[in-house]
Amino acid sequence: MMRKVLDVKGLSKVYGKGCPYCRDATGPRFDTNICPHCASVVAVHDISFTLYEGEILGVMGESGSGKSTVVKCLYFDETVDGGTAHFFDNHGQYNLFDLFSLNAAQRRWLRYRRFGMVYQNPHMGLNLGISAGGNIAERLLMNDMLIYADIRKRASELLQRTEVPENRMDDLPGHFSGGMQQRVQIAKALATNPPLLFLDEVTTGLDVSVQASILDLIIEIQDQLKTTMIVVTHDLGVIRLLAGRTIVMKNGCIIEAGLTDQILEDPQHAYTQRLVASAL
Amino acid sequence: MTTSPLLQIEGLSKSFFMHDQQKEIPSAREVSFRVHSKRLTALVGPTGAGKSSILKAIYRTYIPCKGRILYRSAAGKTVDLASADEHTILALRSREIGFVTQFLFALPRQPAIDVVASPLYRRGLSKADGRQKAGALLQRLHIPEHLWGLSPTTFSGGERQRINLARGIIGRPRLLLLDEPTASLDLRTTGDVLEMITELKNEGTGILAIFHDPDLVQRMADAVYQLDRP
Repeated sequence: MMRKVLDVKGLSKVYGKGCPYCRDATGPRFDTNICPHCASVVAVHDISFTLYEGEILGVMGESGSGKSTVVKCLYFDETVDGGTAHFFDNHGQYNLFDLFSLNAAQRRWLRYRRFGMVYQNPHMGLNLGISAGGNIAERLLMNDMLIYADIRKRASELLQRTEVPENRMDDLPGHFSGGMQQRVQIAKALATNPPLLFLDEVTTGLDVSVQASILDLIIEIQDQLKTTMIVVTHDLGVIRLLAGRTIVMKNGCIIEAGLTDQILEDPQHAYTQRLVASAL
Repeated sequence: MTTSPLLQIEGLSKSFFMHDQQKEIPSAREVSFRVHSKRLTALVGPTGAGKSSILKAIYRTYIPCKGRILYRSAAGKTVDLASADEHTILALRSREIGFVTQFLFALPRQPAIDVVASPLYRRGLSKADGRQKAGALLQRLHIPEHLWGLSPTTFSGGERQRINLARGIIGRPRLLLLDEPTASLDLRTTGDVLEMITELKNEGTGILAIFHDPDLVQRMADAVYQLDRP
């Protein structure tokens, strides 16, 4: 039987002071996410979805549609203004986390141990002042791996898996190419074998051969580790290759959700039809 | 046939609503037929009669507008593919229902042998086992061994099509949907492909196929369902 990993209900996020009219005056119907009454930005409004173990969910939409904000909220980079998210952790004993009611220590624990995040900008996910190996070690130390030799061994395994040359392990990631930085970031995110991985535009801005190697890596991770992932991207090709199911966002709302091939070949919403028609 | 069908399609209709033009485009209207295990059912009809649309509706790449698509699963349950939830569809796709189109869509850079074996990797098979099975298939389809390690993007149309077919049948689906599986093949490789399709059928797979060539329909089909333009 398929096991639920994440259950998000009514997730909302507003930037600005907000007013009682915000939510009724924004969204795809009005083609804006800026409230005309108080000028607050309704970045995400009433987002709900469920994720099952081992699946990859694509979140697609144009810039400003709120897709990155969704994963930032789930990874605690942002606070939320409404909704719930339940994370079902099967590690050791069965645990259920009500994400938006946790204290800072619990949030940190999940971030370091059970979630992984790969940002579009590697500078967000990496500490550029310490070596590639050191970045991975940081995450392992948080997980009570304290023996130097063990840490080094694990770091080198991870870099190998993500095809970062082992002899660069002690170099600063600031001296790496963009694609290599991205692979170090993925290695870091994978260090603790997290059951849930967030990928925010991880191939955007990379050249196609590097893109291909990162997509390869993501598929391999899914096949071998059965990691559940949320992949945020505006690239329909990436969505088609990676995601089994996809949600389409516009002006902070989900306008369409379904099987990825169905979204791309038989889109129902006017906006998705236009998006797909202009991309293919 | 007295046994209950593997797939029973009842009053299936599909049309597309194009928002830009505010226009409804019909694709298939009130289609009903059955597909049995161990048999090949061919869909025939003129271009635009909705043959491919019906295959896509069964696979749920298209959302059917009306009708039922009743599939008898390996677990003995009857699932309406027109309305089943997405996770049920994904599970059936990975285990029971295969779809082979004329076009190969694969991960860039992935070696042909891994493209073929990828459905097995999804099921948790090791790389070594997957490659062994994929290699056997590729050999039978006369794909030269020196190509196995290369990405199929550089292959000829016929080679790509055979890679696609191999990937579609490697998991031994119970129901196989074939959309012109021999469209760009020469005589000899067409023979190879037909032989494999027949073999799969004899092992128990129910097949629903579209062939561009009427001779192939005559040669391969156990049942024919005629479609007209909607």
